[in-house]
Amino acid sequence: MLKQLGYFIEIIRGGIITTRHFSVNMFFHILNLFHIKTKRKGAVTIQYPEVRQKIAERHRSLHRLMKREDGKPRCVVCMLCATVCPSECIFIEAEEDPDPEIQKYPARFIIDISRCCFCGFCVEACPEDALRMDTDEIELADYDRDNLVYNLEKLLK
Amino acid sequence: MMKIYIDDREVHVEKGMTVFKAAENAGIEIPHLCYHPAFPPEGTCRMCLVEIEGLPKLELACSTQVKDGMKVHTKSEKVVEARKGVLEFLLAEHPMDCPICDQAGDCKLQDYYEEYGLFENNFSESKERREKKIRLGKHLIHDNERCVLCRRCVRFLREVVGTGEMGVFERGIATEVNILDGMPIDNNYSGNLAQLCPVGAITDTDFRFQTRSWFLEKGEAICPLCSRGCNIFIEHHRGFSRFDLPKRVYRISARENAEINSYWICDIGRYGYYSLDENRAEKIIANNNISIKNYEAVLAFFTEKIKRLLYKKKTSRITLLLNTFLTNEELFLLKKIFQDDLGIKNIFFIDPPAGESDAILLTSDRTPNKKGAEELGFEITPFELGNLADETEVLIIFGNYIAEIFSLSDIQAYFDRIKDTFLFTPHRSELDSKVGIMFPTAMTPEKGGSLTNVDGKIQKFSPVLEAPGDGKAEWKILAELGTKLDVNFKYYKKFLSPEEIFRQMQKEIPFFEK
Amino acid sequence: MIETLIVLVKIVCALVWFLLITLYLTWAERKESALMQDRIGANRANFFGIRIIGLFQPFADAIKMAFKEDFTPSFSRKFLHDLAPFLSFFFTGVTIATIPFGDILKIGGKEIKLQVLDINVGLLFVLAMLSFTIYGVLLSGWASNNRWTLIGGLRGAAQLISYEVALGLSLIGLVMVFPSLDFSAIVDFQGELLFGWLPKWGIFLQPLGFLIFLFATMAESERVPFDLPEGESEIVGFFTEYGGMKWGMYMFTDFMKVLIISCLLTTLFFGGYQVPWLYADGFRFPWGGEWLLPHGIVVLFQVLMFNIKVFFFCWLQILLRWTYPRFRYDQLMDFGWKLLIPLSLINIVATAIIMSIL
Repeated sequence: MLKQLGYFIEIIRGGIITTRHFSVNMFFHILNLFHIKTKRKGAVTIQYPEVRQKIAERHRSLHRLMKREDGKPRCVVCMLCATVCPSECIFIEAEEDPDPEIQKYPARFIIDISRCCFCGFCVEACPEDALRMDTDEIELADYDRDNLVYNLEKLLK
Repeated sequence: MMKIYIDDREVHVEKGMTVFKAAENAGIEIPHLCYHPAFPPEGTCRMCLVEIEGLPKLELACSTQVKDGMKVHTKSEKVVEARKGVLEFLLAEHPMDCPICDQAGDCKLQDYYEEYGLFENNFSESKERREKKIRLGKHLIHDNERCVLCRRCVRFLREVVGTGEMGVFERGIATEVNILDGMPIDNNYSGNLAQLCPVGAITDTDFRFQTRSWFLEKGEAICPLCSRGCNIFIEHHRGFSRFDLPKRVYRISARENAEINSYWICDIGRYGYYSLDENRAEKIIANNNISIKNYEAVLAFFTEKIKRLLYKKKTSRITLLLNTFLTNEELFLLKKIFQDDLGIKNIFFIDPPAGESDAILLTSDRTPNKKGAEELGFEITPFELGNLADETEVLIIFGNYIAEIFSLSDIQAYFDRIKDTFLFTPHRSELDSKVGIMFPTAMTPEKGGSLTNVDGKIQKFSPVLEAPGDGKAEWKILAELGTKLDVNFKYYKKFLSPEEIFRQMQKEIPFFEK
Repeated sequence: MIETLIVLVKIVCALVWFLLITLYLTWAERKESALMQDRIGANRANFFGIRIIGLFQPFADAIKMAFKEDFTPSFSRKFLHDLAPFLSFFFTGVTIATIPFGDILKIGGKEIKLQVLDINVGLLFVLAMLSFTIYGVLLSGWASNNRWTLIGGLRGAAQLISYEVALGLSLIGLVMVFPSLDFSAIVDFQGELLFGWLPKWGIFLQPLGFLIFLFATMAESERVPFDLPEGESEIVGFFTEYGGMKWGMYMFTDFMKVLIISCLLTTLFFGGYQVPWLYADGFRFPWGGEWLLPHGIVVLFQVLMFNIKVFFFCWLQILLRWTYPRFRYDQLMDFGWKLLIPLSLINIVATAIIMSIL
């Protein structure tokens, strides 16, 4: 019991540390609340939904399919993205295009975002630069699992 | 016997052999596009250049015959340089549209391109544009840009099929392979052209843009669509864990077997894979529409029906309708159980009607195992509805070909008299509603066993696919039935795989000993 | 008639004050912990887009909990299961009645005591009612009919009973110093001065008693250093089988206990509503100054002072809760039985000796 009493100093020290944090933050928060600019900001992080940090250029966000000049998808259904995908979340079905220069176009292009691990291999693999991950959309949560299965129309947007 | 040296390795060869063949036997690969073992050497692609000591120029391995003591180098610097040059010229006019080419993954040109690393194009001129979609026939589409003019297709049609619909036209840069005017390729072996083409010039309409070749797994199988028993690869998709594919099998290709089908298969076998995925029976169905999960209980019910007649010594009231799609092992078990143990005489065969045969591979008999059934001692009695004895109480049907031959109303009229009908079939059909219990079974590529072809050659095979749903191989059902009938429990107990049944068959029937 | 009305108004005022402050304690706890940990804390709840640093959070929580399914496990004893949270809630809530918020308020010749229930055994009443909350803990553990909650409930009961002893003993010294069990009398005593300048607050007369009382009451409130009965994230506690508003009532009881403990600490050890050197007619400073004030302002000062003191103790309790890790169960029991109880006994003896000498 006496040994434990030795901790009382530390307990008081702990209390002082937390009190210091509290009072410093409280002080600067109150100043900020009344829009008084101070050099120190208190422990304010970015007020996320209203204020957003700039997303880095190389950040991998939601996929998008690129379009040709005439609005058709640029994808030629080589299925390299589906091949390289480590989580097997890409599914493509080809259809024959009447234009013999294009030959193949995706009739179905599905990315199951709920399975995607955002490794970006699909973008690396694409020989046509048809798939990119630069939409800067990072809030992909949804109430329905099915809404996370992105189809061609959603990806072309 | 002679001795030659390929890449400093001593190789024993016979007189008249080509250097290419000698190297192949020694396990040394020489790149090639036009050479095919089924045809005499052509020497158009010039990829198989090798250096032979003592000769001033590089020689074509495919057409140079061996000489005693010859020293061949297939990987020397000179050879590689020359091959690179040849490849560069081949690629000069090649569209390099591998992402949309169905051959990608199987393509020899692609492999060599990777191997020799010709990633930079040294030509500043634009590539010659040609027609990319020429319809050659019912199953074939030709892309002239991709063609490397190896003439394999022309030679195949002339030398194997003998119809010769294709030829090489024009000269120089305008040279192209095409069909003769008004002669589309509609022979029964046209599908081989797509497999034969070393690049993606001739593609199969059936497989075109369906999937990519690297998703496919090749399973060795025997074609069950005629009594020739051609060796095939069943190329089935390895599947995605998250997405359901519309079908499992994407194409069938010929597997080399010098004794039976050489390198070819007919179009009936090549495009006959749809039955593997379409309209499959997946659940045990009783009384028209009740699907049952408990396989054991249904089998017990089936066994009970037979046992009852067995105890009453009225097994003559059982009629058996078989087909020759069943493997040797299954027919053997059927013979042991029904003919030997139960003493049933009413055994008939219903097979799909015979078709036309041709001189190359296709036989008129459209079932794979008639010879096997005969060798097992079955009398192939074709079934007529009149054959159905009045006293029949239990009718056991394998396959639903009865519905193809007779009209359903006729069948209904006869079946109404029978107390219990059992159907073992891999496919759904209207027959399901006429029978008491329908067992889903496996198709030939979904089970192991052996088939006896028209020449009496026994070919063993193992399952490539899994039967869908609750489908089970017939030999499994029969082995279980044999044990459950309790007539000869120990005998059937040991049949846990087709190999064990085959071993027993070899003991009992001399035909299968070889 | 007017007497009854006055009593009713007093009840309503006390209840509203009590419940509102408790409600906002939930928000304050989140905010304070956030500030201590360099975070922002709950600030999202809004009312038609207006969000004043998240002040609507408690209402959002209350609405959410009220609309959650009132789930009773099929294997539980339904009546007792429903009864348990009400017991805890009621017996904690009822204690506020005896706390004096201020001195006598004179309006139009009427003398209104700012205290709902002025009984002469107020201290005993509060202790008795707090003891009753143990039934809530024990019943919920037992009625859930789940062996883990039962163990949790027993663990809770053991802890509460253990600290009840220290809690009671720590107050004996105080009762010896202020010879009364009536809260208003105790507060009146604390209005006097010691040595002519020091307010005669309990903390100065009973420093050891204060510490023991602080720890014992914190243990009674089942909050973090002493939260073994519930162990929100790690141990299965006694209200595992509760959800929705019934669970909400347990949580609410927790915060009510924080508030009532603050009230008790203020009343017993920090002079209640007493402002140092403030008398019925104004300030009279020990160094000789005077600042006379009208009666209404004096009462306002008193109520304000009471509130400030109470808020300080709420803040202190939340600070302690977010600073220290949990005790191990044997440490908890050691702390109660081997340290607090002997210390409180020493405190009684020492108080008695000092009092007899003086």
